[in-house]
Amino acid sequence: MSDHHISSAKFLWGVGISLFFLTFITVAVTWIQIPAPWNVVVAIAIATVKAGIVVTFFMNLYWDAKFNTLLLIMGFAFFLLLIGITLLDTLFRIDPIPSF
Amino acid sequence: MSEPSAVEERPSHLKHYFVDSDQQFDSAKMGMWVFLVTEILFFGGLFAAYIVYRSWYPELFLMASTELDVFWGTVNTAVLIGSSLTVAMAIRSAQLNQIKGLIINLWITIGLAFVFMVIKYFEYVDKFGKGIFPGEYYAYEGIAHEKANIFFSIYYMMTGLHGIHVIIGIGLMLWLVVKAKKGVFSSKYYTHVEITGLYWHLVDVIWIFLFPLLYLID
Repeated sequence: MSDHHISSAKFLWGVGISLFFLTFITVAVTWIQIPAPWNVVVAIAIATVKAGIVVTFFMNLYWDAKFNTLLLIMGFAFFLLLIGITLLDTLFRIDPIPSF
Repeated sequence: MSEPSAVEERPSHLKHYFVDSDQQFDSAKMGMWVFLVTEILFFGGLFAAYIVYRSWYPELFLMASTELDVFWGTVNTAVLIGSSLTVAMAIRSAQLNQIKGLIINLWITIGLAFVFMVIKYFEYVDKFGKGIFPGEYYAYEGIAHEKANIFFSIYYMMTGLHGIHVIIGIGLMLWLVVKAKKGVFSSKYYTHVEITGLYWHLVDVIWIFLFPLLYLID
């Protein structure tokens, strides 16, 4: 069990502070009114960067077996497939929804 | 080929069906990642519902999200990120055999998770007070949109499922504290801490997406 990566406390704090900073940026970009749909794109982009930092450095994927990264990517790919196929239906309905 | 002595050297935490501690640790970790994939798809269904309804009623989402308090949403985001940091520190403590530090970091994490739930509780109570209930129980007049209940049904489902995960996380963390106090964990064996940490970080990641999608639309 000697080859497990041990992050230094300084490094972990650096990761935490960068996440706090990006949270601030997430809120701050709503103060300048970015026209739709770009406000959504920016919000999701920042959230994705934050999530990327968490999985890479807090969940140790950077130092981990690559198979675990593959699992995450597969999970995300199937999530996109779920959304993509659903939208192929819901975006192209003439009469959107029955009663709800 | 001194097999008997090799058997004697096996640490007590090592299950007989693993070759060594590393294999046991890596297997547990991989199993957790498989579970996290199912979690992503579990929440994925709700994210899909969000995307479908937002594409149908974009103006509703703009109007309804103003009912959510950005300040408390931001505070809760910071609280969860802080708790992710303390979990990472807890794992570091375990890796360095600092069991006292491990227990302290776990307690801070439990405290932050509790703060998150208390804030969430007051947000819910505030909305219930206005008559904002999910689904057919919706009774709030303040949003001029006939489908206003849909946004809040999605809001309650997503934040509710997330909240359940936070509560489960608190339970797991308390279980880790009990085990740590019994002296189960060391730098040689901290699988439970590592794996609970992965779970906790995923709960954080999901909130990182929920926060801008629900609170920061406008």
